[in-house]
Amino acid sequence: MRAILEIAKLSFADAIRNKVAYGVFTFLLLLLATASALASVTMGRTELMIMDLGLGGISILGNLMAIILTIQSLQQERESRTLYVLITRLQGRWKYLVGKFLGLAAVLSIQIIMMCLILSGCIAIFGHIFWLSFVQACISTLFEIYIVIAIALLFAQSSSLFLAILLTLAVDIAGRFTFVIQQLGEQSDSTLVQTFTQGMYYLLPNLEAINLRNQAGYVANIPWHELISMMTYSISEIVFILLIAAFIFGRKNLA
Amino acid sequence: MPLIDVQSLHLTVPTGHIIQKTKTILHDISFSVKQGTSTAYLGTNGSGKTSTFRILCGLVKPNAGQVIFDGEVMRQGLPPKRFGFMPEHPYFYKNLTPRELLTSLGKLSGLPSKGLKQTIEMWSEKLDFTQVLGQRLSTCSKGQAQRVGLAQALIHQPDFILLDEPLSGLDPIGRACVRSVIQDEVKRGATLLFSSHILSDAEAMCDQVVVLQEGAIRYAGDIHSLLSHDTTWLIQAQGKPLWGQQAGQHTGIEISQSLDGIWQIRGANQEVRNTWLQNILSSESTTLVSVQAEQQTLESAFLNLLKLKGDHDASHS
Repeated sequence: MRAILEIAKLSFADAIRNKVAYGVFTFLLLLLATASALASVTMGRTELMIMDLGLGGISILGNLMAIILTIQSLQQERESRTLYVLITRLQGRWKYLVGKFLGLAAVLSIQIIMMCLILSGCIAIFGHIFWLSFVQACISTLFEIYIVIAIALLFAQSSSLFLAILLTLAVDIAGRFTFVIQQLGEQSDSTLVQTFTQGMYYLLPNLEAINLRNQAGYVANIPWHELISMMTYSISEIVFILLIAAFIFGRKNLA
Repeated sequence: MPLIDVQSLHLTVPTGHIIQKTKTILHDISFSVKQGTSTAYLGTNGSGKTSTFRILCGLVKPNAGQVIFDGEVMRQGLPPKRFGFMPEHPYFYKNLTPRELLTSLGKLSGLPSKGLKQTIEMWSEKLDFTQVLGQRLSTCSKGQAQRVGLAQALIHQPDFILLDEPLSGLDPIGRACVRSVIQDEVKRGATLLFSSHILSDAEAMCDQVVVLQEGAIRYAGDIHSLLSHDTTWLIQAQGKPLWGQQAGQHTGIEISQSLDGIWQIRGANQEVRNTWLQNILSSESTTLVSVQAEQQTLESAFLNLLKLKGDHDASHS
Protein backbone atom coordinates (compact mmCIF):
# COMPACT_ATOMS: atom_id res chain seq x y z
CA MET A 1 0.00 0.00 0.00
CA ARG A 2 2.90 2.33 0.80
CA ALA A 3 4.30 1.82 -2.71
CA ILE A 4 0.93 2.65 -4.32
CA LEU A 5 0.62 5.82 -2.24
CA GLU A 6 4.16 6.91 -3.15
CA ILE A 7 3.43 6.46 -6.87
CA ALA A 8 0.18 8.39 -6.35
CA LYS A 9 2.06 11.21 -4.59
CA LEU A 10 4.64 11.41 -7.38
CA SER A 11 1.96 11.47 -10.08
CA PHE A 12 -0.02 14.07 -8.16
CA ALA A 13 3.00 16.33 -7.60
CA ASP A 14 3.96 16.17 -11.28
CA ALA A 15 0.45 16.58 -12.73
CA ILE A 16 -0.64 19.41 -10.42
CA ARG A 17 2.21 21.51 -11.82
CA ASN A 18 1.36 20.70 -15.42
CA LYS A 19 0.52 23.83 -17.39
CA VAL A 20 -2.28 22.03 -19.25
CA ALA A 21 -4.22 21.94 -16.00
CA TYR A 22 -4.13 25.74 -15.64
CA GLY A 23 -4.90 26.52 -19.27
CA VAL A 24 -8.35 24.98 -18.99
CA PHE A 25 -9.36 27.39 -16.25
CA THR A 26 -9.08 30.18 -18.78
CA PHE A 27 -11.46 28.28 -21.04
CA LEU A 28 -13.86 27.76 -18.16
CA LEU A 29 -13.88 31.46 -17.30
CA LEU A 30 -14.53 32.28 -20.97
CA LEU A 31 -17.34 29.72 -21.03
CA LEU A 32 -18.94 31.16 -17.92
CA ALA A 33 -18.64 34.69 -19.29
CA THR A 34 -20.38 33.56 -22.49
CA ALA A 35 -23.07 31.70 -20.54
CA SER A 36 -23.69 34.77 -18.38
CA ALA A 37 -23.93 37.03 -21.42
CA LEU A 38 -26.38 34.63 -23.09
CA ALA A 39 -28.38 34.26 -19.93
CA SER A 40 -28.74 38.01 -19.47
CA VAL A 41 -30.55 38.30 -22.80
CA THR A 42 -32.71 35.20 -22.22
CA MET A 43 -36.18 35.20 -20.68
CA GLY A 44 -36.73 32.73 -17.88
CA ARG A 45 -34.57 30.93 -15.31
CA THR A 46 -31.18 32.50 -15.92
CA GLU A 47 -29.43 30.56 -13.13
CA LEU A 48 -30.61 27.20 -14.53
CA MET A 49 -29.26 28.04 -17.96
CA ILE A 50 -25.88 28.99 -16.51
CA MET A 51 -25.85 25.78 -14.46
CA ASP A 52 -26.72 23.69 -17.52
CA LEU A 53 -24.06 25.27 -19.72
CA GLY A 54 -21.48 25.38 -16.91
CA LEU A 55 -21.86 21.72 -15.92
CA GLY A 56 -21.68 20.68 -19.57
CA GLY A 57 -18.52 22.75 -20.00
CA ILE A 58 -16.92 21.29 -16.88
CA SER A 59 -17.68 17.79 -18.13
CA ILE A 60 -16.12 18.43 -21.56
CA LEU A 61 -13.06 20.18 -20.11
CA GLY A 62 -12.70 17.53 -17.39
CA ASN A 63 -12.81 14.74 -19.98
CA LEU A 64 -10.20 16.46 -22.15
CA MET A 65 -7.95 17.13 -19.15
CA ALA A 66 -8.26 13.54 -17.97
CA ILE A 67 -7.28 12.21 -21.40
CA ILE A 68 -4.41 14.63 -22.00
CA LEU A 69 -2.94 14.55 -18.48
CA THR A 70 -3.11 10.76 -18.18
CA ILE A 71 -1.69 9.90 -21.58
CA GLN A 72 0.93 12.66 -21.47
CA SER A 73 2.02 11.62 -17.98
CA LEU A 74 2.50 7.95 -18.90
CA GLN A 75 4.24 8.71 -22.19
CA GLN A 76 6.59 11.23 -20.54
CA GLU A 77 7.46 8.77 -17.79
CA ARG A 78 8.42 6.25 -20.42
CA GLU A 79 10.46 8.73 -22.47
CA SER A 80 12.26 10.14 -19.42
CA ARG A 81 12.92 6.58 -18.18
CA THR A 82 11.25 7.42 -14.87
CA LEU A 83 8.97 4.47 -15.54
CA TYR A 84 11.96 2.10 -15.39
CA VAL A 85 13.20 3.27 -12.00
CA LEU A 86 9.66 3.09 -10.61
CA ILE A 87 8.82 -0.35 -12.00
CA THR A 88 12.11 -1.86 -10.79
CA ARG A 89 11.19 -0.72 -7.26
CA LEU A 90 7.79 -2.43 -7.26
CA GLN A 91 6.70 -5.99 -6.59
CA GLY A 92 4.04 -6.12 -9.30
CA ARG A 93 3.52 -3.63 -12.08
CA TRP A 94 -0.19 -3.27 -11.23
CA LYS A 95 0.79 -1.12 -8.25
CA TYR A 96 2.18 1.46 -10.65
CA LEU A 97 -1.13 1.69 -12.54
CA VAL A 98 -3.22 1.90 -9.37
CA GLY A 99 -0.91 4.56 -7.91
CA LYS A 100 -1.01 6.49 -11.16
CA PHE A 101 -4.80 6.31 -11.22
CA LEU A 102 -5.11 7.58 -7.63
CA GLY A 103 -2.63 10.43 -8.20
CA LEU A 104 -4.33 11.64 -11.37
CA ALA A 105 -7.80 11.20 -9.87
CA ALA A 106 -6.73 13.40 -6.94
CA VAL A 107 -5.41 16.13 -9.26
CA LEU A 108 -8.53 16.11 -11.42
CA SER A 109 -10.82 15.98 -8.38
CA ILE A 110 -9.27 19.21 -7.09
CA GLN A 111 -9.64 20.85 -10.48
CA ILE A 112 -13.24 19.71 -11.00
CA ILE A 113 -14.20 20.81 -7.48
CA MET A 114 -12.59 24.21 -8.06
CA MET A 115 -14.42 24.61 -11.37
CA CYS A 116 -17.71 23.63 -9.70
CA LEU A 117 -17.11 26.20 -6.96
CA ILE A 118 -16.50 28.92 -9.57
CA LEU A 119 -19.69 27.85 -11.34
CA SER A 120 -21.71 27.91 -8.12
CA GLY A 121 -20.50 31.47 -7.51
CA CYS A 122 -21.62 32.43 -11.00
CA ILE A 123 -25.07 30.85 -10.51
CA ALA A 124 -25.47 32.59 -7.15
CA ILE A 125 -24.94 35.97 -8.84
CA PHE A 126 -27.95 35.42 -11.12
CA GLY A 127 -30.35 33.68 -8.75
CA HIS A 128 -31.00 30.88 -6.31
CA ILE A 129 -28.76 27.82 -6.39
CA PHE A 130 -30.34 24.41 -5.90
CA TRP A 131 -27.50 22.87 -3.93
CA LEU A 132 -28.64 19.26 -3.71
CA SER A 133 -29.13 18.66 -7.44
CA PHE A 134 -26.03 20.73 -8.21
CA VAL A 135 -23.82 18.71 -5.84
CA GLN A 136 -25.24 15.44 -7.19
CA ALA A 137 -24.42 16.55 -10.74
CA CYS A 138 -20.88 17.50 -9.66
CA ILE A 139 -20.37 14.08 -8.02
CA SER A 140 -21.56 12.31 -11.17
CA THR A 141 -19.11 14.41 -13.24
CA LEU A 142 -16.29 13.38 -10.89
CA PHE A 143 -17.06 9.68 -11.34
CA GLU A 144 -17.33 10.13 -15.09
CA ILE A 145 -13.83 11.64 -15.05
CA TYR A 146 -12.48 8.75 -12.96
CA ILE A 147 -13.74 6.26 -15.56
CA VAL A 148 -12.13 8.30 -18.34
CA ILE A 149 -8.79 8.27 -16.44
CA ALA A 150 -8.99 4.47 -16.24
CA ILE A 151 -9.74 4.24 -19.98
CA ALA A 152 -6.84 6.59 -20.75
CA LEU A 153 -4.51 4.45 -18.59
CA LEU A 154 -5.54 1.41 -20.61
CA PHE A 155 -4.78 3.02 -23.97
CA ALA A 156 -1.79 5.11 -22.83
CA GLN A 157 0.24 1.89 -22.96
CA SER A 158 0.19 2.17 -26.73
CA SER A 159 3.52 3.42 -28.06
CA SER A 160 1.76 6.10 -30.12
CA LEU A 161 0.47 9.23 -28.40
CA PHE A 162 -1.96 9.91 -31.24
CA LEU A 163 -3.38 6.38 -31.17
CA ALA A 164 -3.75 6.50 -27.38
CA ILE A 165 -5.72 9.77 -27.52
CA LEU A 166 -7.82 8.57 -30.47
CA LEU A 167 -8.79 5.26 -28.82
CA THR A 168 -9.60 6.90 -25.49
CA LEU A 169 -11.74 9.53 -27.19
CA ALA A 170 -13.51 6.83 -29.21
CA VAL A 171 -14.43 4.82 -26.11
CA ASP A 172 -15.34 8.02 -24.24
CA ILE A 173 -17.74 9.10 -26.98
CA ALA A 174 -19.11 5.59 -27.64
CA GLY A 175 -19.69 5.22 -23.89
CA ARG A 176 -22.29 8.00 -24.13
CA PHE A 177 -24.25 6.12 -26.81
CA THR A 178 -24.30 2.56 -25.50
CA PHE A 179 -28.11 2.62 -25.27
CA VAL A 180 -28.35 3.79 -28.89
CA ILE A 181 -25.90 1.05 -29.96
CA GLN A 182 -28.07 -1.58 -28.24
CA GLN A 183 -31.26 -0.24 -29.83
CA LEU A 184 -29.64 -0.26 -33.27
CA GLY A 185 -28.75 -3.91 -32.76
CA GLU A 186 -32.30 -4.81 -31.71
CA GLN A 187 -33.66 -3.26 -34.89
CA SER A 188 -31.33 -5.34 -37.04
CA ASP A 189 -32.32 -8.74 -38.44
CA SER A 190 -28.77 -10.00 -38.45
CA THR A 191 -27.81 -12.16 -35.46
CA LEU A 192 -24.19 -11.16 -35.96
CA VAL A 193 -25.01 -7.45 -35.67
CA GLN A 194 -27.22 -8.14 -32.65
CA THR A 195 -24.46 -10.11 -30.92
CA PHE A 196 -21.90 -7.43 -31.75
CA THR A 197 -24.01 -4.51 -30.49
CA GLN A 198 -25.00 -6.48 -27.40
CA GLY A 199 -21.31 -7.19 -26.73
CA MET A 200 -20.45 -3.52 -27.19
CA TYR A 201 -23.27 -2.54 -24.85
CA TYR A 202 -21.86 -4.67 -22.06
CA LEU A 203 -18.19 -4.00 -22.82
CA LEU A 204 -18.29 -0.22 -23.10
CA PRO A 205 -18.68 1.85 -19.94
CA ASN A 206 -22.14 3.39 -19.86
CA LEU A 207 -21.19 7.01 -19.25
CA GLU A 208 -24.72 8.26 -19.87
CA ALA A 209 -26.03 6.14 -16.99
CA ILE A 210 -23.95 8.15 -14.55
CA ASN A 211 -24.80 11.54 -16.04
CA LEU A 212 -26.92 13.51 -13.57
CA ARG A 213 -26.45 16.89 -15.20
CA ASN A 214 -29.81 16.81 -17.01
CA GLN A 215 -31.66 16.17 -13.73
CA ALA A 216 -29.81 19.12 -12.19
CA GLY A 217 -31.07 21.29 -15.05
CA TYR A 218 -34.65 20.38 -14.10
CA VAL A 219 -33.88 20.82 -10.39
CA ALA A 220 -34.75 17.16 -9.91
CA ASN A 221 -33.07 15.63 -6.88
CA ILE A 222 -31.94 12.05 -7.26
CA PRO A 223 -32.68 9.71 -4.34
CA TRP A 224 -29.46 8.93 -2.47
CA HIS A 225 -29.76 5.17 -3.06
CA GLU A 226 -29.69 5.84 -6.80
CA LEU A 227 -26.65 8.02 -6.37
CA ILE A 228 -24.94 5.25 -4.40
CA SER A 229 -25.77 2.66 -7.07
CA MET A 230 -24.37 5.06 -9.70
CA MET A 231 -21.15 5.31 -7.67
CA THR A 232 -21.00 1.54 -7.22
CA TYR A 233 -21.40 1.04 -10.97
CA SER A 234 -18.61 3.58 -11.63
CA ILE A 235 -16.24 1.91 -9.19
CA SER A 236 -16.96 -1.51 -10.73
CA GLU A 237 -16.22 -0.10 -14.19
CA ILE A 238 -12.96 1.45 -12.96
CA VAL A 239 -11.86 -1.81 -11.33
CA PHE A 240 -12.76 -3.76 -14.48
CA ILE A 241 -10.85 -1.38 -16.79
CA LEU A 242 -7.84 -1.23 -14.46
CA LEU A 243 -7.76 -5.03 -14.28
CA ILE A 244 -7.55 -5.22 -18.08
CA ALA A 245 -4.92 -2.45 -18.11
CA ALA A 246 -2.86 -4.21 -15.42
CA PHE A 247 -3.11 -7.53 -17.26
CA ILE A 248 -1.74 -5.97 -20.45
CA PHE A 249 0.84 -3.82 -18.65
CA GLY A 250 2.12 -6.82 -16.66
CA ARG A 251 2.96 -8.67 -19.87
CA LYS A 252 4.23 -5.77 -21.90
CA ASN A 253 7.91 -5.44 -22.83
CA LEU A 254 8.97 -1.97 -21.75
CA ALA A 255 11.63 -1.38 -24.34
CA MET B 1 28.71 -18.92 -6.15
CA PRO B 2 28.11 -15.90 -8.42
CA LEU B 3 25.61 -13.26 -7.35
CA ILE B 4 24.21 -13.03 -10.86
CA ASP B 5 24.22 -15.88 -13.31
CA VAL B 6 22.89 -15.05 -16.76
CA GLN B 7 22.14 -18.23 -18.69
CA SER B 8 21.59 -18.49 -22.45
CA LEU B 9 19.57 -15.32 -22.94
CA HIS B 10 17.98 -15.02 -26.32
CA LEU B 11 15.97 -12.01 -27.39
CA THR B 12 14.31 -11.15 -30.66
CA VAL B 13 12.21 -8.09 -31.44
CA PRO B 14 9.58 -7.67 -34.12
CA THR B 15 10.46 -5.33 -36.95
CA GLY B 16 8.50 -4.16 -39.94
CA HIS B 17 4.90 -3.06 -40.12
CA ILE B 18 2.73 -5.02 -42.49
CA ILE B 19 4.96 -8.07 -42.92
CA GLN B 20 6.27 -9.01 -39.50
CA LYS B 21 9.94 -9.89 -39.34
CA THR B 22 12.10 -10.44 -36.31
CA LYS B 23 15.56 -9.22 -35.46
CA THR B 24 17.83 -11.03 -33.03
CA ILE B 25 19.08 -8.64 -30.34
CA LEU B 26 20.71 -11.17 -28.00
CA HIS B 27 22.00 -14.54 -29.04
CA ASP B 28 22.74 -17.11 -26.33
CA ILE B 29 24.18 -14.67 -23.80
CA SER B 30 25.76 -16.31 -20.75
CA PHE B 31 27.97 -14.73 -18.12
CA SER B 32 28.18 -14.47 -14.38
CA VAL B 33 29.00 -11.70 -11.93
CA LYS B 34 30.74 -12.64 -8.70
CA GLN B 35 29.82 -11.01 -5.42
CA GLY B 36 31.83 -7.88 -4.60
CA THR B 37 33.27 -7.48 -8.09
CA SER B 38 32.98 -4.68 -10.59
CA THR B 39 32.12 -5.80 -14.12
CA ALA B 40 32.21 -3.63 -17.23
CA TYR B 41 29.65 -4.65 -19.84
CA LEU B 42 31.08 -3.36 -23.10
CA GLY B 43 30.03 -3.36 -26.69
CA THR B 44 29.45 -1.22 -29.72
CA ASN B 45 26.21 0.68 -30.28
CA GLY B 46 23.36 -1.74 -30.82
CA SER B 47 25.28 -4.71 -29.49
CA GLY B 48 22.58 -5.47 -26.91
CA LYS B 49 23.91 -3.95 -23.67
CA THR B 50 20.79 -2.00 -22.76
CA SER B 51 18.58 -4.94 -23.76
CA THR B 52 20.48 -7.21 -21.36
CA PHE B 53 20.05 -4.64 -18.57
CA ARG B 54 16.33 -4.38 -19.29
CA ILE B 55 16.01 -8.15 -19.04
CA LEU B 56 17.85 -8.11 -15.70
CA CYS B 57 15.45 -5.42 -14.47
CA GLY B 58 12.42 -7.41 -15.57
CA LEU B 59 11.35 -4.73 -18.05
CA VAL B 60 11.72 -7.06 -21.02
CA LYS B 61 11.10 -10.80 -21.11
CA PRO B 62 13.64 -12.86 -23.07
CA ASN B 63 12.53 -15.45 -25.63
CA ALA B 64 14.77 -17.99 -23.93
CA GLY B 65 17.20 -18.22 -21.06
CA GLN B 66 17.08 -17.18 -17.44
CA VAL B 67 18.67 -14.96 -14.82
CA ILE B 68 19.67 -16.46 -11.49
CA PHE B 69 20.18 -14.00 -8.63
CA ASP B 70 21.78 -15.28 -5.44
CA GLY B 71 20.77 -18.84 -6.30
CA GLU B 72 17.16 -18.05 -7.22
CA VAL B 73 15.67 -17.93 -10.70
CA MET B 74 14.23 -14.47 -11.34
CA ARG B 75 10.92 -14.41 -13.18
CA GLN B 76 9.95 -10.73 -12.64
CA GLY B 77 13.36 -9.02 -12.55
CA LEU B 78 15.76 -8.65 -9.66
CA PRO B 79 14.49 -8.18 -6.08
CA PRO B 80 13.73 -4.41 -5.77
CA LYS B 81 15.26 -3.81 -2.36
CA ARG B 82 18.52 -5.58 -3.20
CA PHE B 83 19.41 -3.79 -6.38
CA GLY B 84 19.72 -0.26 -7.71
CA PHE B 85 19.28 0.62 -11.36
CA MET B 86 20.24 3.70 -13.30
CA PRO B 87 18.95 3.84 -16.87
CA GLU B 88 20.82 5.55 -19.69
CA HIS B 89 20.24 9.34 -19.88
CA PRO B 90 17.62 9.65 -17.16
CA TYR B 91 15.86 13.00 -16.86
CA PHE B 92 12.86 12.09 -14.71
CA TYR B 93 9.88 14.33 -13.83
CA LYS B 94 10.60 17.83 -15.10
CA ASN B 95 8.14 19.41 -12.65
CA LEU B 96 9.68 17.86 -9.53
CA THR B 97 12.81 18.80 -7.63
CA PRO B 98 15.62 16.26 -7.04
CA ARG B 99 14.75 16.34 -3.32
CA GLU B 100 11.09 15.41 -3.99
CA LEU B 101 12.08 12.70 -6.45
CA LEU B 102 14.70 11.16 -4.17
CA THR B 103 12.34 11.27 -1.18
CA SER B 104 9.68 9.29 -3.04
CA LEU B 105 12.13 6.86 -4.63
CA GLY B 106 13.87 6.36 -1.28
CA LYS B 107 10.54 5.49 0.34
CA LEU B 108 9.71 3.18 -2.56
CA SER B 109 12.99 1.40 -1.90
CA GLY B 110 11.91 0.82 1.67
CA LEU B 111 13.88 3.55 3.45
CA PRO B 112 12.18 4.94 6.58
CA SER B 113 10.97 8.56 6.45
CA LYS B 114 13.06 9.37 9.49
CA GLY B 115 16.57 10.24 8.42
CA LEU B 116 15.72 10.26 4.71
CA LYS B 117 16.34 14.01 4.44
CA GLN B 118 19.86 13.56 5.80
CA THR B 119 20.47 10.60 3.47
CA ILE B 120 19.45 12.69 0.45
CA GLU B 121 21.70 15.56 1.55
CA MET B 122 24.58 13.13 2.05
CA TRP B 123 24.21 11.77 -1.49
CA SER B 124 23.79 15.24 -2.99
CA GLU B 125 27.05 16.29 -1.32
CA LYS B 126 28.84 13.14 -2.43
CA LEU B 127 27.69 13.57 -6.02
CA ASP B 128 27.91 17.35 -5.97
CA PHE B 129 24.38 18.45 -6.83
CA THR B 130 23.44 20.15 -3.53
CA GLN B 131 22.96 23.48 -5.33
CA VAL B 132 20.08 22.07 -7.45
CA LEU B 133 18.43 19.96 -4.76
CA GLY B 134 15.49 22.36 -4.47
CA GLN B 135 15.26 23.32 -8.15
CA ARG B 136 12.96 21.76 -10.70
CA LEU B 137 14.58 18.94 -12.65
CA SER B 138 13.73 20.77 -15.88
CA THR B 139 16.30 23.41 -14.90
CA CYS B 140 19.06 20.84 -14.21
CA SER B 141 21.81 20.26 -16.76
CA LYS B 142 22.34 16.85 -18.35
CA GLY B 143 25.25 16.18 -16.00
CA GLN B 144 23.25 17.16 -12.92
CA ALA B 145 20.36 14.93 -13.99
CA GLN B 146 22.89 12.13 -14.46
CA ARG B 147 24.13 12.59 -10.87
CA VAL B 148 20.55 12.58 -9.56
CA GLY B 149 20.04 9.39 -11.55
CA LEU B 150 23.01 7.79 -9.86
CA ALA B 151 21.88 8.98 -6.43
CA GLN B 152 18.48 7.30 -6.85
CA ALA B 153 20.20 4.02 -7.74
CA LEU B 154 22.48 4.12 -4.70
CA ILE B 155 20.25 5.78 -2.09
CA HIS B 156 19.16 2.50 -0.47
CA GLN B 157 22.69 1.04 -0.58
CA PRO B 158 21.79 -2.05 -2.61
CA ASP B 159 23.84 -5.28 -2.84
CA PHE B 160 23.81 -5.15 -6.62
CA ILE B 161 24.19 -1.98 -8.69
CA LEU B 162 23.27 -1.91 -12.37
CA LEU B 163 24.34 1.25 -14.21
CA ASP B 164 23.70 1.94 -17.88
CA GLU B 165 26.26 4.49 -19.10
CA PRO B 166 26.82 6.18 -15.72
CA LEU B 167 29.59 8.42 -17.07
CA SER B 168 27.98 9.79 -20.20
CA GLY B 169 27.21 13.51 -20.31
CA LEU B 170 29.64 14.34 -17.50
CA ASP B 171 32.58 16.73 -17.61
CA PRO B 172 36.03 15.41 -16.51
CA ILE B 173 35.48 16.58 -12.90
CA GLY B 174 32.04 15.02 -12.86
CA ARG B 175 33.43 11.76 -14.24
CA ALA B 176 36.09 11.64 -11.56
CA CYS B 177 33.48 12.35 -8.87
CA VAL B 178 31.06 9.68 -10.12
CA ARG B 179 33.89 7.19 -10.58
CA SER B 180 35.04 7.73 -7.01
CA VAL B 181 31.51 7.29 -5.62
CA ILE B 182 31.01 4.08 -7.60
CA GLN B 183 34.38 2.73 -6.45
CA ASP B 184 33.43 3.51 -2.84
CA GLU B 185 30.28 1.45 -3.28
CA VAL B 186 32.31 -1.52 -4.53
CA LYS B 187 34.65 -1.12 -1.54
CA ARG B 188 31.55 -1.20 0.70
CA GLY B 189 30.89 -4.67 -0.72
CA ALA B 190 28.35 -3.95 -3.43
CA THR B 191 28.50 -5.84 -6.72
CA LEU B 192 28.62 -3.62 -9.77
CA LEU B 193 27.67 -4.23 -13.39
CA PHE B 194 27.91 -1.23 -15.68
CA SER B 195 28.10 -0.32 -19.34
CA SER B 196 30.25 2.47 -20.71
CA HIS B 197 31.66 3.76 -23.95
CA ILE B 198 34.38 5.63 -22.06
CA LEU B 199 36.81 2.71 -21.88
CA SER B 200 39.55 4.51 -19.95
CA ASP B 201 37.08 5.05 -17.11
CA ALA B 202 35.76 1.53 -17.41
CA GLU B 203 39.32 0.21 -17.13
CA ALA B 204 39.87 2.17 -13.93
CA MET B 205 36.62 0.95 -12.41
CA CYS B 206 36.34 -2.73 -13.28
CA ASP B 207 38.05 -5.99 -12.49
CA GLN B 208 35.89 -8.12 -14.79
CA VAL B 209 34.92 -7.50 -18.40
CA VAL B 210 32.17 -8.80 -20.64
CA VAL B 211 32.45 -7.80 -24.30
CA LEU B 212 29.43 -8.03 -26.52
CA GLN B 213 29.29 -7.82 -30.31
CA GLU B 214 26.14 -8.02 -32.38
CA GLY B 215 24.27 -9.68 -29.55
CA ALA B 216 26.85 -12.37 -28.79
CA ILE B 217 29.53 -12.58 -26.10
CA ARG B 218 33.07 -12.10 -27.42
CA TYR B 219 34.86 -12.16 -24.08
CA ALA B 220 33.86 -12.70 -20.47
CA GLY B 221 36.44 -12.81 -17.73
CA ASP B 222 39.16 -11.07 -15.81
CA ILE B 223 40.38 -7.73 -17.19
CA HIS B 224 44.04 -8.61 -16.53
CA SER B 225 43.74 -11.80 -18.55
CA LEU B 226 42.26 -9.81 -21.41
CA LEU B 227 45.03 -7.22 -21.31
CA SER B 228 47.93 -9.66 -20.90
CA HIS B 229 46.45 -12.00 -23.49
CA ASP B 230 46.47 -9.18 -25.95
CA THR B 231 49.89 -7.73 -25.15
CA THR B 232 51.51 -6.42 -28.32
CA TRP B 233 55.12 -5.81 -29.28
CA LEU B 234 56.69 -2.90 -31.08
CA ILE B 235 59.91 -2.99 -33.11
CA GLN B 236 61.46 0.30 -34.18
CA ALA B 237 64.01 0.28 -36.95
CA GLN B 238 65.83 2.72 -39.22
CA GLY B 239 67.17 2.45 -42.76
CA LYS B 240 66.13 0.82 -46.01
CA PRO B 241 62.78 -0.88 -45.67
CA LEU B 242 63.22 -4.61 -46.17
CA TRP B 243 59.74 -5.51 -45.13
CA GLY B 244 57.79 -4.13 -48.06
CA GLN B 245 57.17 -7.59 -49.38
CA GLN B 246 57.00 -9.34 -46.02
CA ALA B 247 54.36 -7.08 -44.54
CA GLY B 248 51.68 -8.46 -46.75
CA GLN B 249 52.53 -12.02 -45.77
CA HIS B 250 51.57 -11.59 -42.12
CA THR B 251 48.14 -10.73 -40.97
CA GLY B 252 47.94 -8.77 -37.75
CA ILE B 253 51.15 -6.81 -38.47
CA GLU B 254 51.05 -3.06 -38.80
CA ILE B 255 53.87 -1.06 -40.30
CA SER B 256 54.08 2.68 -40.20
CA GLN B 257 56.78 5.33 -40.50
CA SER B 258 57.09 8.26 -38.12
CA LEU B 259 57.99 11.77 -39.23
CA ASP B 260 61.64 11.30 -38.19
CA GLY B 261 61.90 8.32 -40.54
CA ILE B 262 61.79 5.54 -37.94
CA TRP B 263 59.82 2.50 -38.99
CA GLN B 264 57.42 0.98 -36.48
CA ILE B 265 56.37 -2.64 -36.76
CA ARG B 266 53.62 -3.66 -34.38
CA GLY B 267 52.11 -7.10 -33.80
CA ALA B 268 50.87 -9.60 -31.24
CA ASN B 269 52.34 -12.95 -32.35
CA GLN B 270 55.65 -13.63 -30.51
CA GLU B 271 57.04 -16.03 -33.17
CA VAL B 272 56.48 -13.43 -35.85
CA ARG B 273 58.29 -10.89 -33.68
CA ASN B 274 61.36 -13.19 -33.48
CA THR B 275 61.43 -13.68 -37.25
CA TRP B 276 61.27 -9.94 -37.77
CA LEU B 277 64.07 -9.35 -35.29
CA GLN B 278 66.30 -11.92 -36.99
CA ASN B 279 65.70 -10.32 -40.40
CA ILE B 280 66.47 -6.82 -39.15
CA LEU B 281 69.59 -7.88 -37.26
CA SER B 282 70.95 -9.82 -40.20
CA SER B 283 70.35 -6.96 -42.62
CA GLU B 284 73.19 -4.55 -43.26
CA SER B 285 70.98 -1.75 -44.52
CA THR B 286 68.66 -1.70 -41.53
CA THR B 287 69.41 -0.77 -37.92
CA LEU B 288 67.39 -1.89 -34.94
CA VAL B 289 66.36 1.06 -32.76
CA SER B 290 64.29 -0.63 -30.06
CA VAL B 291 62.11 -3.59 -29.17
CA GLN B 292 59.43 -3.23 -26.55
CA ALA B 293 56.29 -4.84 -25.22
CA GLU B 294 53.32 -2.51 -25.29
CA GLN B 295 50.93 -2.58 -22.34
CA GLN B 296 47.47 -2.86 -23.78
CA THR B 297 44.74 -0.51 -22.70
CA LEU B 298 41.19 -1.74 -22.40
CA GLU B 299 40.36 0.34 -25.45
CA SER B 300 43.00 -1.31 -27.65
CA ALA B 301 42.12 -4.76 -26.31
CA PHE B 302 38.46 -4.05 -26.97
CA LEU B 303 39.17 -2.91 -30.51
CA ASN B 304 41.43 -5.89 -31.16
CA LEU B 305 38.76 -8.18 -29.88
CA LEU B 306 36.18 -6.71 -32.19
CA LYS B 307 38.66 -6.68 -35.09
CA LEU B 308 38.36 -2.95 -35.44
CA LYS B 309 41.87 -1.97 -34.51
CA GLY B 310 43.04 -1.47 -38.06
CA ASP B 311 40.22 0.95 -38.79
CA HIS B 312 40.83 2.72 -35.52
CA ASP B 313 44.56 3.24 -36.19
CA ALA B 314 43.90 4.32 -39.74
CA SER B 315 41.49 6.95 -38.55
CA HIS B 316 44.07 8.19 -35.99
CA SER B 317 46.90 8.42 -38.47
